[in-house]
Amino acid sequence: MTDDATRTLGKGSAPPGPVPEGLIRLYSMRFCPFAHRTRLVLRAKGIRYTPVQKEFCKTSSCKGHLDLEGRATLLECGRLDGASSKPRHEVININLRNKPEWYFTKHPFGQIPVLENSKGQLIYESVIACEYLDDAYPGRKLYPYDSYERARQKMLLELFCKVPHLTKECLVTLRCGRGCADLKLALRQEFCNLEEILGYQNTIFFGGDCISMIDYLFWPWFERLDVYGIADCVNHTPALRLWIAAMKQDPTVCALLIDKNIFLGFLNLYFQNNPDAFDYGLSC
Amino acid sequence: MSGGSARSLGKGEACPPRSAATLRRVSGPGPGGRAAPERSHAGGSAPPGPVPEGLIRVYSMRFCPFAKRTLLVLKAKGIGHEVININLKNKPEWFFKKNPFGLVPVLENSQGQVIYESAITCEYLDEAYPGKKLLPDDPYEKACQKMVFELFSKVPPLLLSFLRRQNKEDCSGVKEELHKEFSKLEEVLTNKKTTFFGGSSLSMIDYLIWPWFEWLIALELNECVDHTPNLKLWMEAMMKDPAVSSLFIDPKAFRGFLDLYLQNNLEACDYGL
Repeated sequence: MTDDATRTLGKGSAPPGPVPEGLIRLYSMRFCPFAHRTRLVLRAKGIRYTPVQKEFCKTSSCKGHLDLEGRATLLECGRLDGASSKPRHEVININLRNKPEWYFTKHPFGQIPVLENSKGQLIYESVIACEYLDDAYPGRKLYPYDSYERARQKMLLELFCKVPHLTKECLVTLRCGRGCADLKLALRQEFCNLEEILGYQNTIFFGGDCISMIDYLFWPWFERLDVYGIADCVNHTPALRLWIAAMKQDPTVCALLIDKNIFLGFLNLYFQNNPDAFDYGLSC
Repeated sequence: MSGGSARSLGKGEACPPRSAATLRRVSGPGPGGRAAPERSHAGGSAPPGPVPEGLIRVYSMRFCPFAKRTLLVLKAKGIGHEVININLKNKPEWFFKKNPFGLVPVLENSQGQVIYESAITCEYLDEAYPGKKLLPDDPYEKACQKMVFELFSKVPPLLLSFLRRQNKEDCSGVKEELHKEFSKLEEVLTNKKTTFFGGSSLSMIDYLIWPWFEWLIALELNECVDHTPNLKLWMEAMMKDPAVSSLFIDPKAFRGFLDLYLQNNLEACDYGL
């Protein structure tokens, strides 16, 4: 079970309180590929997950949360133990079919992901959120230092821009029982463009020989190819398949891999318009 | 061209706007045997040589608002550059080797590195060159500028759609949508209580959105900002900026260009030369 395995907040839920110092909050949804980008970057930057304080999560009946004494303990730990003055993040999952009214004060259209820091500053758009984390937090830099290499990664993102829409359309079409041959053809073409880049660069990853920001920004859609039923779209792109294999070996990617059966369970409920879809697979 | 002499591209200079009196079309090389340096490169033209050391080259088009972003940043940062204009209605084959999408602007440096997508070129210039930083150092302020940029993103296609429909019936729907988008931008200025989108001084986000507002002025469509007083004040403040005013579009040339461009005329990009 991944870190963010908490129940969603929906309509009628109480708004969460301010974000405690030393923490950054992510409004998310466990199966959303855009939010997945941000969760990957949080993990890759070593911004460790911490469960939301119970007093902020009023609708939760989860036993895994800290009680008031536990909270005090956590704060004491944070202050006393120099090692855990490391930055942390918390996740609040949003029920996207039944959004809390207060959530529109975080994002004008109620979209995820959104970051909120302890100053109450809000950052949205997944790519902007990921870049913000890379800039604001110390340690491992996911974007290259060289200006040209940075620009290259951003140009690669442009090359990728049709993939999210196409994969979603394939999923929806297949789930509605229709054929999606045209869509798959279009998707394969996009993958060919990416294949060409890897071939030209002769590197494993899109940013070079090591994993970097651009790889994390691409990854969520490739993780979903199998569960969406379109894994055959990479049949003709061997370098891309090697990249997928290499990505699956990355500790960050690994730690956040979504269980296939849970994902399928979510998709089944989602396409039945069941508002409980987003909490599928949670034990509590 | 006033005086008729073919002017070679100086370092860091964009050619000054033409006055109405000197506008005329030339179909071949100007006096002195050299082609007007602003004349666009079209299909069949020879590829340009490498970029000289100490300069950066921008592939552009005189009336392209996306390329204008890059020119503004080059000017604002005082970066030595040369301009090669591309005929966007008749692109040279070699241009697709610079940018597979075949769009301007494109930057090329003396190391042969190529950068495209206007916003990416602008950010690259800000990072790679010294002098005044146009993007803030603070990660949150930088993110804010990018969020405003996203907020603005519907304006370019809407404005183009509006211009295509002028003098035709179904203009009002598009106009209403445009007003809605401008209201969003107005809200940013109202909430920030500053003149510019990044604060009290002009910064990257202002340059990135400016070229479309320049169009409004050139086409005498200032009424589009009648309901958005802060936006109107912002436009007036922008006009005072040295980079903006030195690169300000020639209204007559722009109107001439737009007419030809909307008719897909191959000569549109060189209107006024």
